[in-house]
Amino acid sequence: MIYADNAATTKISDSVLEKMLPFLGEQYGNASSQYSLGIKAKCAVEKARQQVAVAIGAEPPEIVFTSGGSESNSWVLSSVSNGHVITSSIEHHSVLDACHSLERKGIDVTYLPVDSKGRVPLDSIKEAIRSDTKLVSIMLANNEIGTIQPIAEIREYLQGRSILFHTDAVQAVGHIPVIVKDLGVDFLTASSHKFNGAKGTGILYKRNGVSLPPMIFGGKQERGARAGTENVAGIVAAGYAIRESVSDMTAMADKLSAFFRATIYGIRAKIPNIVINGDQNNRLPGIINIAFDGVTGDSLMNLLDLKGICVSTSSACTSGKDEPSHVLIALGLTEQQAKSAIRISYGRYNTVNEVETIVDTICNAYNKILAAKL
Amino acid sequence: MKQNKRVDCFACGKQQLSKDELGLNLKMIGREIKQFYCLECFAEYLDVTVDELLAKIEEFKEQGCELF
Repeated sequence: MIYADNAATTKISDSVLEKMLPFLGEQYGNASSQYSLGIKAKCAVEKARQQVAVAIGAEPPEIVFTSGGSESNSWVLSSVSNGHVITSSIEHHSVLDACHSLERKGIDVTYLPVDSKGRVPLDSIKEAIRSDTKLVSIMLANNEIGTIQPIAEIREYLQGRSILFHTDAVQAVGHIPVIVKDLGVDFLTASSHKFNGAKGTGILYKRNGVSLPPMIFGGKQERGARAGTENVAGIVAAGYAIRESVSDMTAMADKLSAFFRATIYGIRAKIPNIVINGDQNNRLPGIINIAFDGVTGDSLMNLLDLKGICVSTSSACTSGKDEPSHVLIALGLTEQQAKSAIRISYGRYNTVNEVETIVDTICNAYNKILAAKL
Repeated sequence: MKQNKRVDCFACGKQQLSKDELGLNLKMIGREIKQFYCLECFAEYLDVTVDELLAKIEEFKEQGCELF
């Protein structure tokens, strides 16, 4: 099998797995317990908090562990009780659905458009800000097209206003430099399984001094910010995984960028009329979104799956009726173009040989599909 | 395409392809498909085994795909 869907999830690192396993076995203590087994679990959680804080330039008390990126996003968005929220039209559904929930409660939400590369125009932020704007939530990097948003520049527009700023950095953390102080955000979301950690552990950076009422009640865990027994093994994995990802980030980015170029060059040599969606410059190194003429992404994905290659489409077809990606539609693609796209997302364990196999298999599958339509 | 219409295999002429065969063709090639294949011919065309296609059909059914 060749796995090229690392934007969906990543294989847990062997060394990270080794570090977390004891906490699923003999070290099974509850981090709130006051005896040795519990204290060791608590120490492991705090060590992970330190590792995460160092990786993103935060202070340990500013890190809260959650169950995942969706919880972190939902928590921040749901904290708004009145006024106005600004977000973009290409956010992850955990942000968009939370915004829709706010609208049902009578809170106004502005969904900013993006340009053809997926970037939020800075002017649109300026125009959208109102006197009652409480929160701006713009993702750092898009999960479907990899486009990186100008977060620090957006922050400048918010300077001097009492508007909180959140960024969903789930796809970015561990893959590109993310330093919260440089970004100037009040909240930042990350998720461990996107950088070779374990599923079920999210991270919320909450800037010191910013208030965020608990969303989950029932205990004093996470300094009273989030109740619930800590997922100690997952949290330990998050700490080691983020440390590992950050330590070789530059080399990994170079490798993935080379894969990006090789994939586009290789496919374009045989299928000249492909379209690469997203920003070619300000982008995550591993994500490639390609639209093909005359075929659906769903068909391509299924044929690749038959050949043991995992990639994804932006649309989900499980009932014979598929919806186009809201991200690709926001870029200005037609419904047909949006449905023709696949996302290849390379990661730590992909190899040059795998890239070559992916290119060849995509080109063969494309030709098979076209031929069957004649 | 209405699935109650009789469709034969484009390659070998096998008559009256099953709902699963038609669904698989639609799923793998797309709604604009002109030529349908029986399971055996489709496996040969795609260079995979019939068992692999049968497994795929089961996956689609488990997903709840209404084409099957």
